[in-house]
Amino acid sequence: MKKCKCKCGCKLGKLLAKLLGGVLLANVVLFIVFFFDLDGKFLFKVVEPLLCKHYDNMERKDTLKSPYDMDKYPSYQFNS
Amino acid sequence: MAKKNRDYKKLARDFWYGKPHGERRLGELYEDKTGLYKHREWRGVSDTLYYFYNVWLYNYAHMVTDVMKYGGPINFAKGVWRYRWLGQTYLTAIHWIDRGTEGLRGEALRASPWHHRGMINSTIKQFQRMMKADTKIRGGKKNDAWYHTIAHNETVWGGMFYPWSDKFESVPIEMVPYFVTCHVNCHTVHNYIDAVQSIGLPGDPCPMCQAESGLFVLDDMPDYAPFMVTCNEACDASVATSTLQDWFWDKPLFALPMPMQFDDPLVHKYCMKEIEECWKFVEEQTGVPFNWDQLVKMLKLQNELQEFEWEKWDVAAKTDFYPINGVSQALYRIYQSQYGENEIWHFCDKKVRKVMERCVSKKINPYPQTRHRVIAWSCAPLYYSHWCTWAYNCWGLNVVINMDSLMFDMTIRTDSYENCLSDMATYHMWAPMRRMAVGGMHHIFELWENMEKFNCDMVAMYDQLQCKGMQGVHGLFEDEFRKRNVNAFWMPHALPDSRTVSRMELRRIINDYMTTVMHEEPLDPSLLDFDDSMSW
Amino acid sequence: MKDLKHLIYFENLLQEANNELVQKAKAEGKYAIGYTCYFMPEVLLDLPGCFSVRLRAPRCTSPDIATYYMSSRVCHYARSLLERALEGGYNFLDAQMATETCTATCRFQEHLQQKHLDSVEDMRIIDNDNFFCEFIDVPFKKTNIAYDHYRDQLRFHVLGKLHDNLGIDVSDEALMQAIEQHNEVCRLINEIGDYRKLSNPTITGYEFHVIQLVSLVCPKYLILPYLRETAEELKTREPDDKWPFRCKVVLAGSENDDPDFTKLIESCGAEVVCDRYCYGAVESRQPIVVQPGQDPLEAIARHYLDTSNCPRFMPQDEMRARKKKLADLVKEYNADGLIIASNKFCEYWSYERVIDTVIMNRDFGIPVCSIEKEYINAASGQLRTRFQAFVESVEIKKIQEGK
Repeated sequence: MKKCKCKCGCKLGKLLAKLLGGVLLANVVLFIVFFFDLDGKFLFKVVEPLLCKHYDNMERKDTLKSPYDMDKYPSYQFNS
Repeated sequence: MAKKNRDYKKLARDFWYGKPHGERRLGELYEDKTGLYKHREWRGVSDTLYYFYNVWLYNYAHMVTDVMKYGGPINFAKGVWRYRWLGQTYLTAIHWIDRGTEGLRGEALRASPWHHRGMINSTIKQFQRMMKADTKIRGGKKNDAWYHTIAHNETVWGGMFYPWSDKFESVPIEMVPYFVTCHVNCHTVHNYIDAVQSIGLPGDPCPMCQAESGLFVLDDMPDYAPFMVTCNEACDASVATSTLQDWFWDKPLFALPMPMQFDDPLVHKYCMKEIEECWKFVEEQTGVPFNWDQLVKMLKLQNELQEFEWEKWDVAAKTDFYPINGVSQALYRIYQSQYGENEIWHFCDKKVRKVMERCVSKKINPYPQTRHRVIAWSCAPLYYSHWCTWAYNCWGLNVVINMDSLMFDMTIRTDSYENCLSDMATYHMWAPMRRMAVGGMHHIFELWENMEKFNCDMVAMYDQLQCKGMQGVHGLFEDEFRKRNVNAFWMPHALPDSRTVSRMELRRIINDYMTTVMHEEPLDPSLLDFDDSMSW
Repeated sequence: MKDLKHLIYFENLLQEANNELVQKAKAEGKYAIGYTCYFMPEVLLDLPGCFSVRLRAPRCTSPDIATYYMSSRVCHYARSLLERALEGGYNFLDAQMATETCTATCRFQEHLQQKHLDSVEDMRIIDNDNFFCEFIDVPFKKTNIAYDHYRDQLRFHVLGKLHDNLGIDVSDEALMQAIEQHNEVCRLINEIGDYRKLSNPTITGYEFHVIQLVSLVCPKYLILPYLRETAEELKTREPDDKWPFRCKVVLAGSENDDPDFTKLIESCGAEVVCDRYCYGAVESRQPIVVQPGQDPLEAIARHYLDTSNCPRFMPQDEMRARKKKLADLVKEYNADGLIIASNKFCEYWSYERVIDTVIMNRDFGIPVCSIEKEYINAASGQLRTRFQAFVESVEIKKIQEGK
């Protein structure tokens, strides 16, 4: 087998091959995630319970204490 | 041990093309209760790869780019942390597509998910605007976005604010926090319903309105605009909801009523005046005058959407080549026609047109296992809008069209101010869940003419248990079904509340009807009975 | 107190819609016009030649056929009306003047309509070939364009149809005559009702409720003599030496045409001194004022929108102002508390009740008893317990305040 004389070409080739390999690998990994619904399982079993815990424990304003001023707003009437 | 007799040819065929309908056993793909997939469906090489790249990956990628495009990751992250409806829903959007597209193949798979893409984009656009303007996630500070956003009730058509759309963004108050979320992840809305009942509201008013009120009770509504426009749609409860919203939001509120007896020319005239009043209110609040040219520009764009919708209906009504499934048809149409103009609709319609034209020119039937063409009437269970997908896969029930799709059956004239206003008044009064529901009970019986028009032989009659308007005509429908010898099954539900009638219970009702009345065998028996009570 | 002379007669008149006075007016050739909602101005249905009957379905406890038609998840009042109609209880009606103001009663009235369409067969519930049912559209606001719209609706759909179908005189003179008669009823009812403002009232809430109801369901010209006599009688009626109640309350809320409900409250020690609910007198018995030179129909349209405090009104200032008006009533009638009652399945009042329950107490310091009830109250035991507890809490509050 002849040895490649062009160093640049070789590097580019390797880079391309790595890139292609990386893309392929990413595709394979993503396809596994997709096919086995790993995204759904992760969201359902990890993310949602954590978020819910956070939302359930959040401090919330007591909205029943909101003011209700009787005369604060005018009658919006324009064509009179 | 006996050696298994494998048919390798068939295995190869199933691998390449996917299993034929009767052999799919889709019900076996689910994990018990959660509705998660043990693995996603293998639809054959081409369709699986299409779904993987063009639906799953494409939508995940765009969910990221849309967030970046409309308001940036920081607003988004703050929003997720602050608002339950946002955090619990956003990430599960892909599974919403999954549920709506189960079992689809070929052209049906290429057309239907575009509708979900349109809705997801529009949803992100809206909630990102909310977050961009929200004072609650920035310590009460009002920014430029806050001053340039118009808040309105989700049933006030977005088109009302077209005259200001070059300077202001209008964002419906409840469309994303309530309406979209209960389709995507039905868990969130339970919190809001419970919240409003915890302050003493009885359980019987419309659960949609309860959820809308609950958002305010739980202080889970962003403060994203200086004023709001509300209306009396869909019902008495919606009128009353405005009172709670007024109390808890405490900002200038304009009530833009939709008169009830909309057939009456006197009523129509009055409605036109009310719309003008609303415009004057917006002018007063924003300090920006009404822009006729902007209104015309936007209406022309919206009219294009309606014209394509008519083409779609034509294909759906007259041929077997309509590639859009029941859930995509229903949700996209109501979303698009209510929200109003948005560039994503045109993009998606272009994609769908291509598929539809291909189906028509090549005479492709995307739903070859159709046994019955079904029209779905009244308002649908929001937590189970994808029942149509199940019904086709299990029983061959193809939901061709639904009532909400047919509400806005009009374009809007832009040749003169008078004509334009007149048409806008009609459009306004034909709001969702309304055109057939109010203004005289004869409207709700337009079912028969639409059934004929769309060549349907069966009715899926939604039975919203807490809708007083529909409950009030229940018996007359029963009488008419009997008199006309129409095959119809009732689907009881409580709009967003999946706890009242579960999805499993709904399926059981349809199963019972199909076996005991229609005496039919399921196409996929694995879908007859499964537990998805905890699913999104 | 001495019994009112006509009370038993009035009670008998309330036993069915087609009562003795209705029959008498019909025998005299007058047309009977049914309606359900305040937004259908009764004064227009009391034009010379016809008379108004606000529909009730007394003693209807089991609306089985109506439940088939409207399901069990719709307001009991609307279903009871349909049941009574299906039983033939409203066959005396010549017309129903309808409003699409609340969903349930709208649907009831639509069942009565004969539309002659292919899409849905007419039920022909009212056994009267000339019967018709006409709807008006009622605005959700009290603005000038809303007044105009409402007036136009009344002119076209009420006066127009009464004239065209029944030959009723709808001239301004006839309207003025009807207003005059209406105002006399209002004057008498107010005179009678004002005795409830006394520290030891000479009329009970129950008695007043009965009197107010007969004024709604009987031909005005036939009930007027009895009202006049009752008003006279009350001028000299002596109260009991000791006030027999423990506190005074304003009763507010949704549809209520059941005097036994008022009786139930009073039997628990709370005297009902003011009635701000559908079928109550606070709104319906305010006289109509026609300014010199004003179109009487215009005056009527303005009157009915202005006087109504229905939670159906949506403008922000209206939503808020009606809370203040309710608080003012409590003050005006020297009441110690407020009972807010909504009918089950009434969406307007379900919400209004929630807000009132918080706001009236928090912002106005008024004790509130918030309850949900049926049209006909079968579960009176539970309600009695609630009312007794409320009366006790009001008494404790009074003691604490040193009253």
